[in-house]
Amino acid sequence: MKHPGKFTRRALAVAIALSLPMTASADAGYDALKKQVEQLQRQLQQVQEALKRQETKVNEVKENSVTRAEAKALESEVNAASEWKDPNTLVHMAGYADVGYASGSNQNGSFKVGTFAPIFHFQYKDLVMLESELEFGIDENGETEVGMEYLTIDWFVNDYVALVAGRFLSPVGQFRQNLHPSWINKLPSAPPGFGHDGAAPTSETGLQMRGGFPIGNMRSNYAVFVGNGPELIAEWEDGEFGLDGIEAEGKGTDRDGEKVWGGRFAILPMNGLEMGVSVATGKATVTGIEDDTGAAPSLTGEQARDYDVFGFDTVWQHKSLTLRGEYVKSKVGGAITGATASDGGEWQTWYAQASYLLPATKFEGVIRYADFDTPHDSQDQKQWAVGLNYLFASNIIGKIAFESNDGQAGAASDSDRWFVQMAYGF
Amino acid sequence: MKTSLFTKVGLFATILTLFGLLLPVVSSAGEKPAVGDYSRGAKVWSNNCGRCHNIRDARELRDDQWFSTAFHMRMRAGLTGQETRDVIAFLVASNKPQRKSIFDKQAVKTSGTVGKLDGRAVYNQTCIACHGGDGKGTLPGAPNFTSSKGPLSKSDAVLIKHITEGFQSPGSPMAMPAKGGNTDLTVEDMRAVLAYLRKQFGK
Repeated sequence: MKHPGKFTRRALAVAIALSLPMTASADAGYDALKKQVEQLQRQLQQVQEALKRQETKVNEVKENSVTRAEAKALESEVNAASEWKDPNTLVHMAGYADVGYASGSNQNGSFKVGTFAPIFHFQYKDLVMLESELEFGIDENGETEVGMEYLTIDWFVNDYVALVAGRFLSPVGQFRQNLHPSWINKLPSAPPGFGHDGAAPTSETGLQMRGGFPIGNMRSNYAVFVGNGPELIAEWEDGEFGLDGIEAEGKGTDRDGEKVWGGRFAILPMNGLEMGVSVATGKATVTGIEDDTGAAPSLTGEQARDYDVFGFDTVWQHKSLTLRGEYVKSKVGGAITGATASDGGEWQTWYAQASYLLPATKFEGVIRYADFDTPHDSQDQKQWAVGLNYLFASNIIGKIAFESNDGQAGAASDSDRWFVQMAYGF
Repeated sequence: MKTSLFTKVGLFATILTLFGLLLPVVSSAGEKPAVGDYSRGAKVWSNNCGRCHNIRDARELRDDQWFSTAFHMRMRAGLTGQETRDVIAFLVASNKPQRKSIFDKQAVKTSGTVGKLDGRAVYNQTCIACHGGDGKGTLPGAPNFTSSKGPLSKSDAVLIKHITEGFQSPGSPMAMPAKGGNTDLTVEDMRAVLAYLRKQFGK
């Protein structure tokens, strides 16, 4: 057996000798490679950190943003949102108020708080509405006066009929039921005879049916009512009792047991034009006496007198011009029995009014003529009124007006008056 | 006190009228009424409110406030139930915000070209109640389209913007609601009606 030791050692020595340069070269490559790997590791770490930051940002964006579909759904929901659709009962307040200054030819000028008249609406669906208007005012002594203009519960029976019960504004004519609020009335005062204790009834307590319906191409509206009716006031004058006035203000009790019934029917043959006719009839009885002597007699057994009202009203509105007029006559019959037996009397009044909103301005001019005729000379009055209004908004109106009144010399009805008024409808 | 025969007859006749007329309608009270139509409502609004008072801005109150107010005015003005629903539809539509959709980049872009729709039809449906058949306006403050210094003296872009967002003419007591209260109007509809206005009333 050959001994391989010598050959092996020689070969090993040769191999080592040959590999020495290669080993040095491999070390350099290894170092470079190592550096490269380390650099790649750092870069990878940087990329990972960047990715992590990016991922965090993406998550934040996801949390704080919505998709287009979500945004569109939200937009639709917002556009469709209507809170009034859901509840069965709505509560709403409207109304009006006015303040101002008045000066008369035989009275000192005074700042005035006119009326604060909130109107409350409580509505159950489109079926029933409770309406009430209160009136707050201040008298000459600064005391607060409170009144109830009307309180009704309205049942909307169908599209053409509403049944109204309670105390309601008189359907006779237009002024009392639609035009008396200060933000609607073009002048600061009511036409003579259309206020309290005038020729036109102001309100009634009872039952009313009202609504509107078409007649061919025309429209119409109506009101039919039955109520407690007015009461009469007598006064001692010239040695006898005479009728002083009619209190047609929605009495809460029918003290004479005599009902009054009536209504109004109006047609609108064309846009802007309305013509109405009103009637009321029944009985009325003297229930009060204005007596300074202190010897007023007992009023038991007073005779009920005939009571009849007739009215006509019209309005025509064309663009900025509005023309309106109204006539009302209340007639009370005589009585042959009772402590206040006397002749009857007639209270009649009418007015015509024109108003014009100057184009492209907020100024409105108005002029009105009225004639109130009663059985008493001291109450008779003829009146010219002119005014200039400034519309701060459709429902906020500043007014300045002058009334030239012609009545019995020395009476309040003969006093000319200046007004400045600010009215707010809400 | 003793009630006269005349009063008794009158009272009886009134009650008979009240309840006699109610009988046939109570039976139909449960029927679902027709919904309101904004176009008819705009006409009811323009034809009735001004007879008694200055016309209020159609965007003055919230929808729920308009709802009660409309029923209050039904009683005052003798409106029918359908007219009441119509005017509510108009007022609700007037209150709808006409914000430009964030996805609708073309909302107010105008090309000056006439759309495919009939501008006359759009005018008669949406605009005529207040602006009138002669373009001179039927309400106080409504502008005169036939005037050389009227709205048509403005550019299409301005007018489209006014129609889209609503506009109150100087001195006018009320504002035109956005899209005239007709929220269904498209940009094409507005272009069409504007072209009709220029052709019909432009100087």
